[in-house]
Amino acid sequence: MDVNRRDVLKVLLGGTAVTAIAGSTSHVAKAAPDIIQPLDDAVGLLYDATKCIGCRACMPACENANGLVPDRGSSHGLYMQPEALNSQTKNLIKLYVAADGHERSFIKQQCMHCVDPACVSGCPMQALHKEPHGVVGWDPSLCIGCRYCQIACPFNIPKFEWYRVNPKIVKCELCRHIVGKTAAQPACTRVCPTHAVIYGKRADLLAEAHRRIQEKPGYYFEDRVYGETEGGGTQCLILAHVEYSKLGLPKMGPQSNASRVRRVTNVIYQGFLTPVVIYGGLVAIVRDRWKDHLAHVAQERQQHDKGMHP
Amino acid sequence: MTERWEKCIRLKEPLLTRPFKALLGLAAFAMLLGILREVSGLGYVTGLNDGYAWGLFKNWNVTALTALGSGGYAVAVMAWIFNDRKFHPIMRTAVLTSLVGYGTGMLALGFDVGRPWNFIHILNPKTWNHHSVLLEVAVCMTAYVILALNFENMPPFLERMYKSGDPQRSERALKIFRYMQKSFPFWIALAFVLPSMHQSSLGSLMFLAGDRVHPLWQTARLPLLYLVMAYILGFACVLLVLILSTYVWRLGWDGAILGRLAVVMSWLTLWWLVIQFVDLAYRGVFEMAFTFDRYSIVFLLQTILLLVPAQALQIESVRSKPGNLFRLTLVLIIGGLLYRFTPTSIAFIPLGNYTYFPSVIEILMSAGFTALAVVIFLFAVKRFAILPASRGKIAAEAAIRPFDTL
Amino acid sequence: MHVRVDLSLPVPPTVRPGLDRRTFLKVVAQATAAIGLTSAMAAKVVAAVEKGVRPSVIWLHFQECTGCTESLLRTSHPGLAEVLFDLISLDYHETLMAAAGHQAEEALESAIRKNAGKYILVVEGAVPTKENGIYMQIAQKTGLDILKHVAASAGAIVAIGSCASWGGVPSAEPNPTGASGINKILEGKMVVTLPGCPANPYILFGTLLQFVALGKLPELDELGRPKFAYGRTIHEHCPRRAHFDSGRFAEEFGDEGHRLGYCLYKLGCKGPSTHASCSTLQFCEVVDAWPIGLGHPCFGCTEQSVAFRVPMLKPAEIVRPTPPSTYAPVAAPQGFINPLATAVGGLIGGALLGAGWMASRGMKEKPDSPSHTPPPNQNSDSSDKE
Repeated sequence: MDVNRRDVLKVLLGGTAVTAIAGSTSHVAKAAPDIIQPLDDAVGLLYDATKCIGCRACMPACENANGLVPDRGSSHGLYMQPEALNSQTKNLIKLYVAADGHERSFIKQQCMHCVDPACVSGCPMQALHKEPHGVVGWDPSLCIGCRYCQIACPFNIPKFEWYRVNPKIVKCELCRHIVGKTAAQPACTRVCPTHAVIYGKRADLLAEAHRRIQEKPGYYFEDRVYGETEGGGTQCLILAHVEYSKLGLPKMGPQSNASRVRRVTNVIYQGFLTPVVIYGGLVAIVRDRWKDHLAHVAQERQQHDKGMHP
Repeated sequence: MTERWEKCIRLKEPLLTRPFKALLGLAAFAMLLGILREVSGLGYVTGLNDGYAWGLFKNWNVTALTALGSGGYAVAVMAWIFNDRKFHPIMRTAVLTSLVGYGTGMLALGFDVGRPWNFIHILNPKTWNHHSVLLEVAVCMTAYVILALNFENMPPFLERMYKSGDPQRSERALKIFRYMQKSFPFWIALAFVLPSMHQSSLGSLMFLAGDRVHPLWQTARLPLLYLVMAYILGFACVLLVLILSTYVWRLGWDGAILGRLAVVMSWLTLWWLVIQFVDLAYRGVFEMAFTFDRYSIVFLLQTILLLVPAQALQIESVRSKPGNLFRLTLVLIIGGLLYRFTPTSIAFIPLGNYTYFPSVIEILMSAGFTALAVVIFLFAVKRFAILPASRGKIAAEAAIRPFDTL
Repeated sequence: MHVRVDLSLPVPPTVRPGLDRRTFLKVVAQATAAIGLTSAMAAKVVAAVEKGVRPSVIWLHFQECTGCTESLLRTSHPGLAEVLFDLISLDYHETLMAAAGHQAEEALESAIRKNAGKYILVVEGAVPTKENGIYMQIAQKTGLDILKHVAASAGAIVAIGSCASWGGVPSAEPNPTGASGINKILEGKMVVTLPGCPANPYILFGTLLQFVALGKLPELDELGRPKFAYGRTIHEHCPRRAHFDSGRFAEEFGDEGHRLGYCLYKLGCKGPSTHASCSTLQFCEVVDAWPIGLGHPCFGCTEQSVAFRVPMLKPAEIVRPTPPSTYAPVAAPQGFINPLATAVGGLIGGALLGAGWMASRGMKEKPDSPSHTPPPNQNSDSSDKE
C-alpha cells in the first residue's frame, strides 16, 4: 500500500510541478494574452446622457434598420413599448428618476461592444466574435443556442428568441450590415436630433469625452467616462451626470472577466500540457494495478477451483 | 454476520413492477413533452427568460445530477489509483450509475440548446473557441460518454453476448473483451482525465459571470470545489443505490465496502468544507455567511446539510446502522446537490429585476429524465450481471470468467 | 386650346380674374415650398410660365362624383384653378369645357394628335371592368377603351382621387361593376396615383408644377403615390399626436375628452394606417378644416385596405408604432413565478423525501438478520458455471 501511495503522490506532484514551471516560463501560457488592448481602428458610440432629450427617435430607427418587429408590450398594440431589451428591441431609452425626484437622467441601453467581451470568450463555437473594427457580431450558422453569452455578459445584453423554433441571439451590432455599404453610421446616431449619441473611432470618442469633461469640471459624474476601463474597456462609452450604477451600468474593475477565466484555465491546462502529462502518469499507475489485479484474480480462481474439485 | 460481496449477479426479479411502470410512464411523458419543446420553442415550455437563461435542464440535470453520476469515476479512482481492491465487486454498479446519470444529463442538454442543428460544427475543431469553458465541458463530456463510459459498461453486455449460444457472437464477444483487457490502462486513464476536466470545468463555467454570482460562491477555486464535490456525490450515489438494492433485492449487507465508501465520502466532505471556508476567509467574505439574508441562509443550509452527515459518519457506531447510513447519505446528497446547483441559479444575480422559477413542463421533463435514468438502471440490473452479491446469493446468473475480471 | 374659368360660376368677391405678377410669384413660392422644391426651382417654374411653355392636359372622367374637380376649383386664396390654367393647357375636361357632343370628341382627338407623347393624362374616377366595361360608355365607347386609347400616347398619367387610384367608392363590396383603379388596367405603364376622397388639390398642383418646371415626376412610392404627400401617415403628423402618446383619448362623441380635442383613436380614427397629407395640408386653406380638426375620426379615404372596408368605429392598426410619452424604469421587473409550478415542484420534492424517509424506516436492521428471512431463493443453483 505504501509503495502505491507514493506512486500516486509522484504523479500529483509531477503534474503540479509541470503546471507551476510551465506557467512561469512557457510561451504557451503567454500565447493567449491575459490583457487585450482595443484595436487601433475600433469603433463605437459615445452617449452623453446630459444631451439626450428622450425623444427616442433612435428606437424606431433601429427597428427599421434591423428589420425588427416592434415590441408593443402591454399597450394593446398602440405603442412601441418594450420594458427591456429583448428579441425585438436592440436599443432602448430608459429614464432614471431618483426616489425624491431631484435627479433624473435618460440612459441608452445597447450592446457595449466590449474590448475583451465575456460573451466572445464564452461562446463555444465563436458564433459571437469580433468583427472588423472590434464590433461584436453574431453568426447564425455557428450558434448552437446554448445561451452561455447571456450568462456571461455583465450588461445582460444578448437576448434570445424564446418563442421561436429557429431562435436567434439578438443584440446591437452597430448596424454592421449597412455601415460602410449603404450608410456611413448606425441608424441611432444618424437620427439623434441633439447628437447625444455619436459614432466614431473609439480613440476619437474617448478624446472627445475627455474634452467635454475638461470643459466642465465637476459636471459629469466623477469626471470620468464609463467604459474607458470598466471590464477591460468598452467601445461604447457613456457620459452622465448621475451615478452610473443608478443607470443600470454595473460597477466593474479594469480587469475583464474573460481575462480572469483565461488566466485560470491557462494555469490549469497549460495549453493541454497538464492533461497529457497526467494521462501519461495515470496510464503508468493503472498498468501497474492492472497487472496486480490479474494476478489476484488468477490466484482467487485457482483457490476457488481447488475448493470445487479437491 | 457481515456478508462479503464477491461477484456480480443478474437479478431474476420481474421487470414490470408497479414502480417501474410508473417511472416508465413518467419518462415516456417527458419524451412527449420533449417533442412539444422541439416543435414550439423553449419559451413556451420553460420558465426561462433573458435574465435567467439557464434553468433546470442545464443547472440541475447537467451541473448537479452529473455529479451524482460521477460514481463510476470516484469508485474507479479508489479501486485503480489507490488500489483499494475491495471496491471491485461494486465497479459495475458504479459505472452503470455513471452511464445513466451522464446519459440522461446529455439528453437534457440536447433538449435545452436552442439551435441543435449547429451541433454538427462540434466535429470541426476550426470552429472551436479554445478559451470557452463550455466548449471544454461539451467536448469532454461527449468524449467521456462515448469512449470511456461505454468502454467501462461493456463487460456485462459482452458477457451476455458470450452466453447467447450463437458461436459467432460468443467468439466476437470474447475477442472484444480480450482487446479490452489488453488496452485497459489506456481507456481507464482516459476515464479519469476526462471527468476531472469537465467536472472542474462545470465549476469554471460560472467564473466567467464574475460579480453576477454572489461572493459567497464566486471564487477562482470553483473548479476545485466542483471536482471534489463530484467525488463526494459520486460516492454518495453509489452508497444510496447499493443500500436500496440490498434491501429491495436482498443482496446481503457488505459492511466493509459500504463502511469504507462512507468513510472516504465523509473525509472528503470535511476537507471540502475546510477548503471552502479557507477560501472564504482568504477572499475576505467570511462575514457574508452570517448576515442572514437569503444568500447567507442558503449558504448556511448547504453547509449544515454537508457538515452534519459528514461528522456523523465519522462515528463507527453511527454508520454501521443501515438506517442511519441511508438517511445521512441522503442528507449529504441534498447538501451537495444544493452546492452544485446554487452558483448557477440561486446565487446568480443578473442585472435588472428578473425572477425565474421553472414551469410545470420544465419540472416534469426534468423529473422524467431522472425517471428514465432509474428505468434504464432497473432494466440493466435485471438483464445483465451488474449488482454485487454475497456468496449465499451467487447463482447461475453470476458474472462468468473471463468477464468477471472487470 | 386655352380654357378660361367661366365667370358665371359662383366665385367669392375677393377673386379677381387673372392674377397680378406678385400674387403669382407668391403662390408659386408657397406651392414649391409645400412640395419640397427649392426657391431655385420656383424660379424655373416662373421662367417656364413666362416662356409660355404650357403642356397639354387631357382630363378624363369615369365612375366619379366630380368631387376631385370640385375641390380643385374650390381653392380661393388665390384662385388656384386660375394659376393652374396659366401653367397648363387644359385641352379636354368634361366638367369645365364649353364644348359638347361631337365637338368635344373632336377636341379630344385633335389634342391627342397634336401633343402625342407629350400630354399629361389626368384621370378622375374608377373604370368598370365587368362584362367588358359596358357599365360606363361615352359615345358608345366603353370607359375601358377610352382609357386605353388616350393613355396610349400620353406623356404622363396621373390618377386623381381614390376612385382612379384604386377603385374608391364604386369598388366597395360587392363591387357589382368591377370598378378598378386605372393602374391595374394600364399594366406596365407608370401611373402617378393621388388617392383621397377627394384628393387634396395642392397635391395635384405640386405634381404638375414639378413636371412643368423640371420635366419629371416627383419621387413615387410602390403604389405610385408621390412621397412628398403620401410618404407619411396622418398619425405621424397629426396635431393631436401628443394626446395619443400620452394616452388621452375621446371615448365617446361629445364627452369631455372630445370637447378638449383629445386623440380620436378610440373612436375609430384610421390615421395610423392612412398615408396622406391632410394633417399638415388640411383643406380649403382654413386651419383645422379637415376631419380630425373638426372632431371626426379620419376614415382612411386614401387607403384601399381601409376606406369603405373597415368599419368607421373599429380601431385602426398602427403601422409603425413609436414609444409613448412614458418611459420604462431602469430595472423593470421581468419573469414570474408560476404558483402551479411551485406546487408541482414541491410535491415531487416532498414525495422523494417522503419515499426516502419511508424506505429508511424499513432499514432498522440489516437485511440479512434472522428476522429478515429471505424468500426461497430462486437464484440458488448448485451448478457453478466455468
